[in-house]
Amino acid sequence: MSDASKPNPAGSGDVPPVKKADESAAQKAAGAPQPAPVSAPAVPAAPAEPKPKVPFSPVLLKHIHEPGSHTLAHYAARGGYETARSHVGVTPPGDLIKLVDDSGLRGRGGAGFPTGKKWSFLAKGTGKPIYLAINGDESEPGTFKDRYLLEKDPHQLVEGAILTCYAIGSKHAFIYLRGEFILGFQRLHAAVEEAKAKGYVGKKIFGTGSRGDASPEVDLTITVVRGAGAYICGEETGMLSSIEGGRGYPKIKPPFPAVSGLFGCPTIVNNVETISAVTHIVKHGVAWHKQWGTEKSPGFKIFCLSGAVRKPGVYEVPLGITMREMIDTYGGGMKDGRKLKAVIPGGLSAPVLTAEMVDKATLDYESLASLGSMLGSGGITVLDEQVDMISTIYNTMRFYHHESCGQCTPCREGTGWLEKVSHRFHHNQGHQGDIELLGDIAKNMRGRTICVLADAAAMPMQGFLQHFRKDFEAKVKETAFVEKQRTYRDEITPTAKTITATGAGPSALDVGSNGSKG
Amino acid sequence: MSIKEVKIKIDDKEVTVPSNWTVIKACHENGIEVPHYCYHPDLSIAGNCRICMVGVKGAPRPVVACAQPITENMEVTTKGKDIEEARKSVMEFMLINHPLDCPECDQAGECRLQNYSYTYGRDHGRFHEEKVVKSKATMGPHVKYWGSRCIVCTRCVRFTDEVSGTGDLGVIYRGDRSEIALFPGKTMDNPLSMNTVDICPVGALVSSDFLFQTRVWNLKSAESMCSDCAVGCNTRVDLDAKGNIKRIVPRRNDKVNKEWMCDYGRLSFPYVQENRLMKPLLEGKDAPYKDARKAALEALAKKNVVVLASAWNTNQAFAAIKEFAETHLPGAGIAGYANPGRADEAFPGFTISGDKNPNRKGMQEILGIDADVSLKELAADSARIGTLLLVHNIPGYAMTPELKAVLDRTETVILMDHAKSDLLKYGNVAVALPTLTSFEKSGTFVNKDGIPQHFQPAMEPVNFGRSEVEMFHDLGREIAAAAVQAAAHAATPAGAKAKA
Repeated sequence: MSDASKPNPAGSGDVPPVKKADESAAQKAAGAPQPAPVSAPAVPAAPAEPKPKVPFSPVLLKHIHEPGSHTLAHYAARGGYETARSHVGVTPPGDLIKLVDDSGLRGRGGAGFPTGKKWSFLAKGTGKPIYLAINGDESEPGTFKDRYLLEKDPHQLVEGAILTCYAIGSKHAFIYLRGEFILGFQRLHAAVEEAKAKGYVGKKIFGTGSRGDASPEVDLTITVVRGAGAYICGEETGMLSSIEGGRGYPKIKPPFPAVSGLFGCPTIVNNVETISAVTHIVKHGVAWHKQWGTEKSPGFKIFCLSGAVRKPGVYEVPLGITMREMIDTYGGGMKDGRKLKAVIPGGLSAPVLTAEMVDKATLDYESLASLGSMLGSGGITVLDEQVDMISTIYNTMRFYHHESCGQCTPCREGTGWLEKVSHRFHHNQGHQGDIELLGDIAKNMRGRTICVLADAAAMPMQGFLQHFRKDFEAKVKETAFVEKQRTYRDEITPTAKTITATGAGPSALDVGSNGSKG
Repeated sequence: MSIKEVKIKIDDKEVTVPSNWTVIKACHENGIEVPHYCYHPDLSIAGNCRICMVGVKGAPRPVVACAQPITENMEVTTKGKDIEEARKSVMEFMLINHPLDCPECDQAGECRLQNYSYTYGRDHGRFHEEKVVKSKATMGPHVKYWGSRCIVCTRCVRFTDEVSGTGDLGVIYRGDRSEIALFPGKTMDNPLSMNTVDICPVGALVSSDFLFQTRVWNLKSAESMCSDCAVGCNTRVDLDAKGNIKRIVPRRNDKVNKEWMCDYGRLSFPYVQENRLMKPLLEGKDAPYKDARKAALEALAKKNVVVLASAWNTNQAFAAIKEFAETHLPGAGIAGYANPGRADEAFPGFTISGDKNPNRKGMQEILGIDADVSLKELAADSARIGTLLLVHNIPGYAMTPELKAVLDRTETVILMDHAKSDLLKYGNVAVALPTLTSFEKSGTFVNKDGIPQHFQPAMEPVNFGRSEVEMFHDLGREIAAAAVQAAAHAATPAGAKAKA
């Protein structure tokens, strides 16, 4: 329990969100760093019932607090690259795809698409090279998990990339990093170089083709690409455009990347967390992975907790725990004992949940979908009662207006319009009709664009309008009051213009506009 | 590999289309209107304007027709409430930051934003915020950019990437600040630049040459053909109320020029107005046709007559020359010459021919003459030429040493030309007969690929010229009339007396 020694800054609000891959006291008591695999993963007799609680200790974030966790020496000491060595050139690639498919691993980037299924969609026999593109352009507001995987445990990702490339038959993997991740880039780059020096990456990796076990030669190149700071480059096809050297415009689907992606070749795009998880799933097997989580969302996931909680940070937990457990147990409850008002559950683009919905929500793909929101990237932002919802939505819209790539009309124009109207609301200039207008713009943006950025901007607006309409209406009333005051003041006091014209000397403009001189 | 034909249904109408088409192409080819801005049949698919929404059975919401591949038994609807709703919302988004400066915009009258706004848009605006104002720029010698009007359909960017291959343009900034801009240090000065003006569906890219010249609804259009090179682009000529050419734009012909045209051809028209040979000239002075024809026929009656025709003449002119020479000029030689060319200018999607003659092939077919070989042979020959009937018609002709050599050893030159060209200074031009430009006459040109293309006059003649066909017809009739007269004269007593 290396991370347990870390002092807990609970209660001190101004401490920056130190990352804690924490476990609950109960899990600590169980004491086993790696729980023994359970042979029967679930009880099929009662599917509605939650699975028996299996103690969980972090997997992906297990070593992030250990000094030098990013080096090969540290990674090798904990059995690093042994999984890749034992599988590459030995296990048939199809078996690995089946293993990942059976494990039920779902994409951790936001959409939650089953990873094994995605791999099986890969176009075969095209004669073109197959590429793996790993998405590390983590820019969804409220999400900061991949950063820790890249900075603290990059070898875990490289091993996952080796296994994935072997499984899908790719000889070249691209890892696309957000431009701002300077440390992450340095460490990942160093990790790839270290792996290259050891022969884990490059020609004939792990000595395949010459180690006397009749294994075929396996070559792999890993290229680390840095972005230039655009949210849209985290969209899978936008990222591919950016890797190709173009403007980060998302591409029309179909064709999907698995058929025609990077440089027109079949490409698999996965998130950093997904690929990191592949390493462990291949190592421990399907049953091990399925002992946590729900029927449709098996396994574990990293959540990024931020906002009005005592202990914000990244927490790796089994899927299917309740939102309340996340906030109260892991997050240490609400900051300063305030009341919870709302939660944005899966990154900024996920529709907001009210306090009542939070009580019902569990952290898995299905539960949040049934509440009209989504698990997304796992960025949980907690809003307390002091938060001004109008200000929050204005800030949200400002972000999407700034980040819309400008390719499709509804998003290019709609994000700006939403920002401008919410800006008016924020500055006490919103009127009754504007609430309907906001809803209408958001509705017109949804599902009408190449990528989902328009939806990502429209969904929070629709969510806020649906659940916090009262806040908007209150603001309209306040505006009406302020305007009435303003009119009254203007009637009883001379306007600024009059004062300038009469008092502050001749000014052609003011005199002209006032209609009379002196 | 043959493309499979599949049956699909568009608005309950069953049609059969190749399976590699997109829905928008299937609709357009079957006469069903689908609005579009970014889609262009000769460019790659961008799918960004989002107005070509159609319904596809089984799809949860409207899809963009330009990017939707055809599948067997697909059922497409181009009308319906949700589709109208989608198009209406896209039109609204298009217009919120548009300056609505139609009264001073060159595109007004032929603007997709206007047209689709009437057909698909809302009747009032709901946008009360400040509009985004974008920059204005000069893209090149012939193209200007009005950023605020731009809808960022990227047709122009794709054109410079795919057709001209010059890659001058790109998109800068993000979101509703997006603008089209030149790459640093580049100018859009390639000879295909003005096609971007044509394909711009709004008034963002405008032609510097046409800018503020006229409102487009005052223009009268006529179909024509460009004679500037051997490609033979199909064109539409736009004329103002006075009948002057204001601009030339390409007309679609997939076999010849698709929908493109070079700037040289587009801007070639001023020669129609400039320095025209208005009336026949006799010894350098204006003269009536009757006298000019008489002088010409007298000269042609001399010995050693050579007819020299340029490759700028129509098939009909060549046929008239051939017939006239065979009938009335026994023993006369027929030769041809061409406007000196230069190297082809090849672009990824279009080639401007270096052969600056529209009808070299036609001359070959009808007169059996290779223009260059023929002129060389004639220049090399040292025999004196009594009368040279020069059918010229080449605008902006630069004298070649070969033609000069021919003129130098010619006694009398009879010139048929549409302009007071430099040829009048060379040699002894006894008679100059005014002809018509290809905008003013009809005829047929055979282009470099051997495709014969007929064209009609686009405008009234500027001068008192006659086409070559009419001219030779007149001359022939004059000869016949003279013969009849002579015969009649011989039959009279006076004539008989004179004979005796």
